[in-house]
Amino acid sequence: MAQRITIDPITRIEGHLRIDVEVDNNSVSNAWASCTMWRGIEKILRGRDPRDAWLFTQRFCGVCTTVHAMASVRSVEDALQLEVPLNAQYVRNLILIAHALHDHIVHFYQLSALDWVDILQIPKADPVATAKLAESLSPWTRNSKEEFKAAQDKVKAVAASGQLGIFTNGYWGHPAMKLSPEVNLLAFTHYVQALEYQRKALQVVGMLGGKTPHIQNLTVGGVANAIDLDSQSALSMDRLEMIRVLLGEVVQFIQQVYFVDVCAVAAMYPEWFKIGSGVKNYLAVPDLPLDTRGTSYDLPGGYIMNGNIGGTQPFKTAADAVFRQGVTEDVTHAYYQGDKPLHPWKGETEPEFTGWNGEQKYSWVKSPRFQGQPMQVGPLAQVLVGFAQGHPLTRKYAELALAKVSAIAGVNATPDLLHSTLGRHAARAIRAAMLSELADKHWQLLVDNIAKGDLSVHNPPVFNGHEVEGVGTHEAPRGTLSHWVVIKDGKIKNYQAVVPSTWNASPRDQNGAHGPYEASLLRTPLARPQEPLEVLRTIHSFDPCMACACHTFDPSGQQIAKVKVL
Amino acid sequence: MKNVLIGGIGNVLLGDDGVGPYIVRFLDAHYEFEPGVEIADLGTPALDLIDQISGRDAVILVDSVEVEAEPGTVQLYRKEDITRLTPQVRMDPHSPALVETLLAAEMFGKTPAEVLLVGIVPQSFEAGCALSDPVAEAVEAAVGKVLEELDHLGVGYRPKSQPDHITTWWASGISPEEPELSKA
Repeated sequence: MAQRITIDPITRIEGHLRIDVEVDNNSVSNAWASCTMWRGIEKILRGRDPRDAWLFTQRFCGVCTTVHAMASVRSVEDALQLEVPLNAQYVRNLILIAHALHDHIVHFYQLSALDWVDILQIPKADPVATAKLAESLSPWTRNSKEEFKAAQDKVKAVAASGQLGIFTNGYWGHPAMKLSPEVNLLAFTHYVQALEYQRKALQVVGMLGGKTPHIQNLTVGGVANAIDLDSQSALSMDRLEMIRVLLGEVVQFIQQVYFVDVCAVAAMYPEWFKIGSGVKNYLAVPDLPLDTRGTSYDLPGGYIMNGNIGGTQPFKTAADAVFRQGVTEDVTHAYYQGDKPLHPWKGETEPEFTGWNGEQKYSWVKSPRFQGQPMQVGPLAQVLVGFAQGHPLTRKYAELALAKVSAIAGVNATPDLLHSTLGRHAARAIRAAMLSELADKHWQLLVDNIAKGDLSVHNPPVFNGHEVEGVGTHEAPRGTLSHWVVIKDGKIKNYQAVVPSTWNASPRDQNGAHGPYEASLLRTPLARPQEPLEVLRTIHSFDPCMACACHTFDPSGQQIAKVKVL
Repeated sequence: MKNVLIGGIGNVLLGDDGVGPYIVRFLDAHYEFEPGVEIADLGTPALDLIDQISGRDAVILVDSVEVEAEPGTVQLYRKEDITRLTPQVRMDPHSPALVETLLAAEMFGKTPAEVLLVGIVPQSFEAGCALSDPVAEAVEAAVGKVLEELDHLGVGYRPKSQPDHITTWWASGISPEEPELSKA
């Protein structure tokens, strides 16, 4: 008989992801993904000055503030057909790269590694053997037995105190945990080091953006960074040099640690290359523009239907006509009024809460669809569309990752394996390695352009009374982000944000098609249904961001994640 | 010189959740602080908060708190009150994480000696609204608690003779012309 399991992190205020699965013979037979809170923040933008919108949208989310700022200014620039000076493009690109590197590091180590790494195995590890193993995998200079011993001592101290502290509530000792004590120690030591390197990446965002969180340097039509190579109060050579040094350290961590760890951990869980595929329609937009009008990019975009890699369709621009016309949002199973899918420019956000009902409405997330189909977004989508198009940088790191996994696991890892839970982790590491190379490139592009004497950073926007529509996209750490704006008489008439987690967490649509989270959970084996670690592994592999908006400290802190087995 | 962070936490777009950022803005507009004090609107930083608090001598955070009490009630919490709580098993890895942040800082040996959370009980989280009346009336009391903590820490401050004008730009029709609080 089927069991029903609900995983619902109950807090009273924050919007959270809730997952319901039916389990039959220790395998997931049905799944529902829902978000428990309505935000409706877009409505407060109506009637406002489009030049101000980004200051509001970057408050949508506490973690990805920068990405919502960027998509917003791009939507208004698209509506006005406004070009962006080269310096501004490069400064923005550097911010986006640094933010993404920070985000990918934190996602793997702090937010999902402990789904695979068993903390309680660490005291059993031999630091010398760990160092030997680590040296065989990477030239990273901080893989010494002293580093491993120090990290192990931290865990031993915590374990000896009887208080697991930050590690309380993990599924330690779960039968799905399979790493050796040494690999557990290796990954945990890098978890500790990752805290330092993600901070360096964030410092770059702060240096270029004025501060973080909430960068201050954007403006519709460019950036507000004054460029003067000799002035301390502007973007000077000293400051650029500091940025180069910080980025260099982050790049080294990505290439010698993060990329290697993902390949090594993946190679030890080969069964997870066959679990968690789900929706094999993929969508990614081009990003990191290389000219003022946005006609060529360093990250390719496009879409794939039904896993048909050979039939990949590229997007030429970040606001490609096929993308602009192809997006709709369906509310059949979402708590909103409406009886048909609507294009975001015509989008409505009128709530109609009915309570959770898996047959009817069950989520505050709408169902975005592209050409009527659910689409998976994120680093995997971007890597697959790039790989299919023969994009050299994508191929370089995708092939390197597959070769490393093959060597460690002693198998022949092929690109097909990427349609999986581990494929999403591998693709994120591949994307991070690509971005780490592009960090150097865009820093050099900026410096070279300034050296030519171009100090321009801004083209002023001009509004007329006509009604105009725009879409601003960004291939964010979690995938395709798009902001859709309608402007009339210089004011915002409508505004909709279609965010990556909406694509991936979407509920069923009018045709009953599952969203990507839901589809990815089907047929997942569960060793112990009352401890659904396997469900968390797949959901975390998407890097979900749902509680984007509201923060309240709950001092009772007792009950937080409820796992209910019916 | 003590390295002290006074940080406002919360989402300004969601009514009373903006009380933390509003209060640090108020403090910055009305007082001058001795060097070493940084005032910051931290938004909803999740684990990025680790970087903000690491290596400080003392941290004062201002946030809305969910407790059974009248809206506008001001409650104080010390580090031990927070770290004794159980961290979450999170579905969504970006959830706010004050408990995890302090536990992580503690584990990695960079936790500030003194942590105070000044909590204000909210009434409403409606998008696009200013502070509710009971929460707006609690601002003065919460500011008083922050200043008392500075006295306790031996950190100097004095009222400005001409307070700066502040707005809740997120809840009004005006443009957000004022620069945000920036890092010291």
